[in-house]
Amino acid sequence: MKTNNYIYLYDGSFSHLLNTIANLIKEQIKPLNIQNEITYQNDLFSTALKITNDTTDKLSYKIKKTNPYIYDLILCSYLSAEENKELIIYYFLLNAYKYGAKIIYMRKLKCVSKILEIAKYVHNEAHKMKGFLRFQELKSHFLFALVAPTNDILGFLSNHFQKRLPKEKWIIYDEKRKKMAIYYQNKIYITNIDIKNIKLLFSKDEKEMEQLWITFFETVAIKERKNYRCQRNFMPKKYWHNIIEMRDKIENNN
Amino acid sequence: MTLKDKLTILADGAKYDASCSSSGSSRSNCDGTGNASISGICHSFSSDGRCISLLKILMTNCCIFDCKYCLNRKSNNIKRAIFSPEEICEITMNFYRRNYIEGLFLSSGIIKNPDYTMEKLIETIYLLRKKYNFHGYIHCKAIPGCSSYLLKKLGNLVDRLSANVELPTNKSLKLLAPNKDNKKVTNIMQTVRENKNKYFVPAGQSTQLIIGATTDTDYDIMKNSENLYQKYQLKRVFYSAYIPVNKDKMLPMLKTPPLKREHRLYQADWLLRYYHYKTSDLLTIDNQNLNILIDPKANWALNHLNEFPKEINKASYYELLKIPGIGPTSAKRIIKSRAYYPLELNDLKKMGVVLKRAKYFILCNGKYFMPSKYFQKQFIYTNLVLIDEEPKNNSSRQLSLFYENK
Ligand code: SF4
Repeated sequence: MKTNNYIYLYDGSFSHLLNTIANLIKEQIKPLNIQNEITYQNDLFSTALKITNDTTDKLSYKIKKTNPYIYDLILCSYLSAEENKELIIYYFLLNAYKYGAKIIYMRKLKCVSKILEIAKYVHNEAHKMKGFLRFQELKSHFLFALVAPTNDILGFLSNHFQKRLPKEKWIIYDEKRKKMAIYYQNKIYITNIDIKNIKLLFSKDEKEMEQLWITFFETVAIKERKNYRCQRNFMPKKYWHNIIEMRDKIENNN
Repeated sequence: MTLKDKLTILADGAKYDASCSSSGSSRSNCDGTGNASISGICHSFSSDGRCISLLKILMTNCCIFDCKYCLNRKSNNIKRAIFSPEEICEITMNFYRRNYIEGLFLSSGIIKNPDYTMEKLIETIYLLRKKYNFHGYIHCKAIPGCSSYLLKKLGNLVDRLSANVELPTNKSLKLLAPNKDNKKVTNIMQTVRENKNKYFVPAGQSTQLIIGATTDTDYDIMKNSENLYQKYQLKRVFYSAYIPVNKDKMLPMLKTPPLKREHRLYQADWLLRYYHYKTSDLLTIDNQNLNILIDPKANWALNHLNEFPKEINKASYYELLKIPGIGPTSAKRIIKSRAYYPLELNDLKKMGVVLKRAKYFILCNGKYFMPSKYFQKQFIYTNLVLIDEEPKNNSSRQLSLFYENK
């Protein structure tokens, strides 16, 4: 293995990242870092370069077929907000080539315990958001939800709601990444768009339903069992601004 | 009366039922709204820290019975309301589409007679499934004393059908719920058990016991649960710390609900279901109550200290399960991983072992984590009690018990 001082860039896509890593492993190169070219910031001490233009998903497809669990770990890592995720994936794949399927039990290796931890975190967040996401009904009868997850879980959410609400038309907008999933006539479309200047018009029942929900939410709490800390542990404050029943509570520091 | 007023009354009347889970069913849909997720989803958490997963309401809070502990009993002078089937369907659909809820939990006071009430419930659920095409999760309470053909009808429409035992002994039931008897409840459980399949009550049945309203001991309670799990294959027994909603000379006037006791019972229950313990391992005739200060598994380990410390690299799966701080998941991980390399204390943390509990009971490659002269009952006990008192750890453990399948 040759260690060098280059930073390798990829175009931000999962396929290109995997192809880049596969190339590095084949050439036996240990990179200084691997970074998304969109967010990469030039510095004076290192050189950045791209080693492949291959953006096909042949490789990702192959990994998915041979070992779906490993594929899931890599994908989750890619979707995570982890700072050095590209390097973690690199080291994980390097070892996976060496040890095969049993790699997932080798928690002694830092890249393994780390990638398992990341994948768990991403799945947990996706699972939680499936519950915390709130749709509002627009005048056009589209259901519309704002989310701001730490990890890029829009794909997980779209798949979930496609199964759950197949007859509806809906939009999920990721505020952080300015990315939108639109579901219309059995198809999901994902696009990058900033909706800052778009004014939303809600259906006439929307307010009433929200009020009804808040009424229910307040009523079911048993006052003899008050436990705000517990509530906050399960429903972290960072999500509250998009959860209808919690929005007004952000101010009061209960 | 507005819809909002009704919802306030009928959600208030249902909120003391502890069951919240929406797991265990995997309904899918092809032409309607909704599916059920096998692992259950929490949609919100109320200010008491409990998970909100289902729209938990009563069809009506009118009741011909007079159970002492119940807010809806006949002799209480409270506002009464009744939802029409359409109202329940509309609210459920509107909440579900907006992703507020995972489904519906419908219970009811008894109007006219059990069969009449059941028919009303069936009418509502039927409408929701067939006309509104709702394929999400439904948990319905069966009315004790109803005819079995009605149970069969309802069971085909819902994911979970259940009846609450409420009190663990017949004696207590006679005292506090004179119109109820145990037989009626177990009849329901029997019917559900006999008919359960992929389409009939796929998520199984559960029940609830009230804790602290009577003099029943933890032994009475756990014996009862154990029996229910075995006989009727219940998915869950929920324990609900008694909260005085009525003044009655038959009832204790507790200032605070016995939450700690409830918490220990959930832990003990967990041990029955996932750790192969029996009630007799944890409680005996001479020792009828769980130790409030320490969790029942640690308590058991301390009483069997001669079986410890256990070598992490050799112990069998079942032996690992008996170690405080190790659960089924981490036990499996230990077994998989140690095939490749011998485990040390540091490796265990990455596998989800709660080290601050486990370390007192294990050896790693023959090493104890501190001088072995400290391997003593009193010393370990004191340390474990202190861990349990750390408030943060406490509250999160307490509620994680409300999840199923975890
Ligand atoms: S039958 Fe049910 S609703 Fe009626 S009083 Fe008894 S517990 Fe309450």
